[in-house]
Amino acid sequence: MFHLHIDKLKMTILLLNNKELKLMSKKFYLLIIVVFSYTFAQSQNTVKGVVYDENNQTIPGVNISIKGTTIGVVSDIDGKYSIKINKADSNQLVISFLGFEEQEILVAGRDVINITLKQKSEILDEFVVVGYGQTTLREVTGATAKVRGENVERLNMSRVDQALQGQVAGVSINTNSGSPGGGSSIRIRGLSTFGDNDPLILVDGVVYDSEGLNALNPSDIESINVLKDATAGIYGVRAANGVILVETKKGKKNAKPQFEYSSYYGLQQTAKKLSLLNAREYAIIKNEMFANGGNPVPFANVELGEGTNWQDTVFQTAPTQNHNLSLSGGTKNTTYSIGGSYYSQDGIVGGKKASFERYNGRMNVSTSLSEKMRLTSVFLYTNERRKGLPENGIGSVLYNTINAFPTDPIKTPDGNYSYLEEVSDIINPIAQIANTFNEARVNKFVGKEEIAFDISKELTFTNRLNYNYALVDNKSFGPLVWYGPGKAQNSAINSDLDPSLVEIADSVFIERGASVFEQRATYLDLAYEGFLNYDHIFNLVHKFKGTLGGSVFKRKGDVLNGTAFNIPNNDVTYADISANIAPGGFLNNTGSYEFEERLLSTFLRLEYGFKDKYLISGILRRDGSSKFGDNNRFGYFPTVSGAWLISEEDFFNIKPIEFMKLRMSYGISGNDQIANFANRASLNGEGVYVFDDIITTGVAIGRAANPDLKWETTRQYNTGIDLALFDRVNITANYFIKNTYNLLFQPDVSGIIGSYGPGGSSPIINAGDVSNKGFEFEFGYASDMRNDLRTNVNFNFTTLANKVTSVPEGVDFLPGAYFGVGGNVATRFEEGFPIGYFHGYETDGIFQTQEEIDNAILIQDGAQPGDFKFVDQNGDGEINFSDDSDKTIIGSPIPDFILGLVFGLDYKGFGLSANVYAALGQEIIRNFERQQPYANQMNYVIGRWTGANSTNMNPLQTTGATRNNVFSDYYVENGSFVRLRNVQLGYTVPKKVAKYFKTESLRIYVSANNWLTFTRYSGYDPDIGATAGTLSAGVDYGFYPQAKTIMGGLTIKL
Amino acid sequence: MNSSKIKCFTILFLAIISISGCKKFLELDPPYTQDAENYFENPKDYEMALIGAYDLLQTSFITIWIGEIASDNSIAGGESVNDTEGLHQIDNMTHGAVNTELRNVFRWNYAGIARTNYILENKDNIDFEGKDKIIAETKFLRAYYYFELVKYFGGVPLVLDVRLGVDEVNETERNSEEDVYLQIEKDLSEAITALDWFAEIKGRVDKGAALALLGKVYLYHDKFTESAEIFDQVITEGQYALAPDFSNLFFVSSENNSETVFDVQYSGLEGGSYGCLHCLEGNAAPGFQGIRQYSGPVYGDGNSYNLPTQELYDVFSSSDPRREATILDLDAFIASQVNAEDITYAIGAGGHTGYYNNKYIKRVGEIGLPDNDLTSPVNYRVIRYADVLLMAAEAHNRKASPNDALALDYVNQVRDRVNMNPLSSSGNQLTEDIWKERRLELSCEGLRFFDLVRTGKAKEMIVNFEENKHEVFPIPQVEIDLAGGNWDQNIGY
Repeated sequence: MFHLHIDKLKMTILLLNNKELKLMSKKFYLLIIVVFSYTFAQSQNTVKGVVYDENNQTIPGVNISIKGTTIGVVSDIDGKYSIKINKADSNQLVISFLGFEEQEILVAGRDVINITLKQKSEILDEFVVVGYGQTTLREVTGATAKVRGENVERLNMSRVDQALQGQVAGVSINTNSGSPGGGSSIRIRGLSTFGDNDPLILVDGVVYDSEGLNALNPSDIESINVLKDATAGIYGVRAANGVILVETKKGKKNAKPQFEYSSYYGLQQTAKKLSLLNAREYAIIKNEMFANGGNPVPFANVELGEGTNWQDTVFQTAPTQNHNLSLSGGTKNTTYSIGGSYYSQDGIVGGKKASFERYNGRMNVSTSLSEKMRLTSVFLYTNERRKGLPENGIGSVLYNTINAFPTDPIKTPDGNYSYLEEVSDIINPIAQIANTFNEARVNKFVGKEEIAFDISKELTFTNRLNYNYALVDNKSFGPLVWYGPGKAQNSAINSDLDPSLVEIADSVFIERGASVFEQRATYLDLAYEGFLNYDHIFNLVHKFKGTLGGSVFKRKGDVLNGTAFNIPNNDVTYADISANIAPGGFLNNTGSYEFEERLLSTFLRLEYGFKDKYLISGILRRDGSSKFGDNNRFGYFPTVSGAWLISEEDFFNIKPIEFMKLRMSYGISGNDQIANFANRASLNGEGVYVFDDIITTGVAIGRAANPDLKWETTRQYNTGIDLALFDRVNITANYFIKNTYNLLFQPDVSGIIGSYGPGGSSPIINAGDVSNKGFEFEFGYASDMRNDLRTNVNFNFTTLANKVTSVPEGVDFLPGAYFGVGGNVATRFEEGFPIGYFHGYETDGIFQTQEEIDNAILIQDGAQPGDFKFVDQNGDGEINFSDDSDKTIIGSPIPDFILGLVFGLDYKGFGLSANVYAALGQEIIRNFERQQPYANQMNYVIGRWTGANSTNMNPLQTTGATRNNVFSDYYVENGSFVRLRNVQLGYTVPKKVAKYFKTESLRIYVSANNWLTFTRYSGYDPDIGATAGTLSAGVDYGFYPQAKTIMGGLTIKL
Repeated sequence: MNSSKIKCFTILFLAIISISGCKKFLELDPPYTQDAENYFENPKDYEMALIGAYDLLQTSFITIWIGEIASDNSIAGGESVNDTEGLHQIDNMTHGAVNTELRNVFRWNYAGIARTNYILENKDNIDFEGKDKIIAETKFLRAYYYFELVKYFGGVPLVLDVRLGVDEVNETERNSEEDVYLQIEKDLSEAITALDWFAEIKGRVDKGAALALLGKVYLYHDKFTESAEIFDQVITEGQYALAPDFSNLFFVSSENNSETVFDVQYSGLEGGSYGCLHCLEGNAAPGFQGIRQYSGPVYGDGNSYNLPTQELYDVFSSSDPRREATILDLDAFIASQVNAEDITYAIGAGGHTGYYNNKYIKRVGEIGLPDNDLTSPVNYRVIRYADVLLMAAEAHNRKASPNDALALDYVNQVRDRVNMNPLSSSGNQLTEDIWKERRLELSCEGLRFFDLVRTGKAKEMIVNFEENKHEVFPIPQVEIDLAGGNWDQNIGY
């Protein structure tokens, strides 16, 4: 009976095309197969083929199975496969391989089917390192973000942190200095502490501090993971500011050795020069200013033309270059990646006098010692050399450049640098560059030796020894210099460069000539970490993971330094302590100190997943730190997190959404980033007095004691969602609340404690709370990799609201940065306001006439026509200048929005990419103008008030008594900017051409960094960090701007 | 892997976990370091700590400024009215409780007090020869610092023999002015007994200094009889004498002469920064009071602070050599030079009177190391014998049973030195004459404002001076806040 109908049924199945089959209920289809498989058992044919990847490389180990059966084969070493298909089986092959998209192919009677697998465009199954273990993006329960190494490398920046800017939502990076080798402020989810806000940075598990990031070559990076929320709590006491995990490049197993050489060369320029007064404008305005002040005018003739453009001389075009050579590959048991690089950058100010050079060596080897034991060995060596000029503040080269008089020449006819005599603290910037000699050299050895072995299939035990050894040498030469009469920076007593004389005993004088300072500092971090990882799935649905471990960390440092005087010939050539020729070794100073700190930690993490739908994870870490006193040495830091993969639910049936996960986490982490032995009072105050005319050194208490010092803790709540749509789009959004309690800092304390003597400072105390709330959004799109025209877009934005929620009892606010010279406190840490907000007077236009002043309801002491009208904040009818009652918030350095956009377009061999970064809604204090009668000024003063109704913007210029110079919103500017961080056009030559050059691949490109910046800010660079501590954020002291760079480069693979 | 290896590793792992319980690992002492918690173990430690306690005397420059600028003697000057704004406010009597300079006075003197208390807290740790003298000098210094505070602020909290913890501040009350005076007098009286008449080391406190300061404190405290008695002891036992030449009295070369009772010592050999004036080993006043952008002979260039007024200049008779020695009439001086046309200087926008403080001014022969605005070696004459004589005269004149004859004798010694006619007045007129003589003799030395206040003349002499308010400066508002808001502000502020 059955036999009779076979052909008919067969026909029916064949007639049903693929689409129609899909419409049939799966169950019915299965039933048919079960019923008929027996019957068709004898009837089969064989399908053969080769599996390729998109680069036409064969792929071994690919699973090829027949849909709906358990029948399957695996492609061989050459990617070939052969599979027998019973006639009764489905007509579809299912091809799957880790990291590639699964494919279903209709056999349709073919005997040979070659398959091209395409790599997964989604990143959900990529591994992410989460601390003492790894997971996949699919399963991770915390707020993490991953940046691929290529997105770091491509930007050709000297430092990893610079390259990270704008790439991760919730991570704000500001440049502390654009000078070569200058650092950044890295802030994950806002400013949460008064003290050290830097995240914990681990390179292959080894602790790096953010200053040490100079040592890392961005080209060596495989990936960067940022742990933003409380799940970073696996790192306990050091996780409060977030954790950045950097993985360096590793080889791949069974890969032939691959050489890669890459190189670029670029030229840098300043992106901007300030609009300053030229000589004529300067003379006119100064004359008016002095006349208004009732003083004789300084310039009889104002027709002085352009005069000296100091900026044109100070700024220069400076080269930068980089060369990388690497070798990577692997055998059956070993993978390796070995590389070396050279990087150099000269300064756009100072050239070689502000330069950075770095040599890197790197070796990353992983090998199986036995079937169950693996050794991973990472070794990084760096040699760096940095030279710098005075930056940021009075006395910096750019500050002098901005304020130098256009009426003075760079050099006088007699060949000397001009003295700029009228202002005592402004010196000739060109002379300053010429006379500055300093160099820092760092030799750094970082590495880890790790043995992991599998105790059983489920249980792995990892032992790790990390080390970070750095030798930091500093040398600076202080020649005898004469910048002009009365200049504070003079070290000679006259223009003949005669040294001063020092009386070392009664009527015994020796010369104090040129000096050299040398210092060697040695730092050693040692860490041992041991942990067990357990990973098992019970009954196919209960997934358990566990991590239990301990860590011992020790950091030691010692510093030895010396100063020697009377360097021969006043010449840097002989600037060595050994060259000292001071009689009897007098004058020479030495110093030294040592420190040590230790951490002792235990940690446990338990993770449970049910059917890959429900994930829950708990972390507990116990940390002990030597930084605290007996009373509060240990801290416990718990975290819980969970995720729900909604898209795995049966009921979930929204077609375009392939993946949807909800996440939540809450946890507590700590911060111990304070000085060592801060609980004890130190004896390093300055206790020096003069007896018998000899400077006599005694002792005094430095920092006062606080034996009750304890952890600063951060409680963080995060909720987030991850989505994958249309096979091409990934979206992540997070909302977080991060509250930090018991901030560790040195606030102002009562004077009666007596800690304000020379060298004294307040005790470090726990007080004050800060809250950060924010929203983060990330969007990623990548077009089909098989297309000729491929695009990818990554966009992210972050909003952040930062608020101080409490300050220490009795403290109204903590003062921050000062405005001007000897001016008032301009930034504050105060309850109810963002950290470091700007506090000053609000202006309301300008008094145009005396009548207006006389008739004003408001009393403003000393006001005259042309002066600012200030706003009476406390409503007492009077502007008070002797207290703070009429000051208010006039800005905040914290942006409302941070946006990042990475865009890529590839067509055949061509690739175009761009990175855009924007920070919006923050303010900057223009603090580089010397409020001094003779200092040069920006040309907005041309629009000054000159009489009734001339302007309501810029006040009268006068040398007389005026309140126009007090810190007001006039000196605060909109700091928002949008910057094209990088744009690059590259071309990968066709394979044939590459072969002709005997290379595997060859790519050339041109690239530009910081090419465009859109901002209203009038200073050099709106992207300024906190150069002098947390509360100096947004204060521009004549910031060394980031260079605009144009580069050309190539990458060759052999 | 065999099971014994597994055991080994398991044991190792357990070992790691168990060290976590090992607290000892975290008990670190600062390596190779003495800190405040392990000090005062040998006599040298006391000596070293005492040097630290002397250090704050070097903040005396601020008294030279405020003592003059607040009075009718001089204006604030400087680069602009915003340059050290606090001094300009004091100059105009518009100062309030937010004033950087006044806060400095408050904090620096308490820093000095804390350093003396650190010694006194540990005074019984060990015994050694010479400890009595160290303790006596310590008490003198504590009295000195409290005397500064009481002159500026009236009653202040008395912190004695302890290191105050952060938590204890809120429980600390403001003591009355009377309490503070009594404590100062107690410390000085105790110091006097252990001190010798002349210190072997220049700069160290001796009996004469302690007696003179006590006499001065009594005078400020209106205890004229006690004051007269103490000054008589200084005059009769002290072997001090007025230096013959007033014109070079404030030169470095005249330092520590027969007229020196107590000087704050400075050196020109160590640099410093504007950011930390209290860290200097040099005297900040001469450089700051120097002639702005000056290029010429005799003087160095400076910052044109603390400029004497025309009114002060006019008080002197032209025959009084003290006029020229006290006040530099700059244009007249320049005109008298041979190369007058080559001499240049600038006028600060903070004010200009044409006069400079010629007692504390940067002179060519007295220039310290660069930056020489901050490294003047010129000592501050806290108490010189002429002042002792004038204070003694005043005490004898004003005490319950006046001795005007002795008072005249003392004041005329001072006048005789500068060849001025002797006075012959008595009673209230003599009091007025002595006060006037104080101005002639002691102007530009930082005493004037406090003299005007204690003699009740301030209202009469100082523009904008309000009685029952400006006699003392306000306690810095932030200090009141930091102490938990428990201290009452001075009346009127």
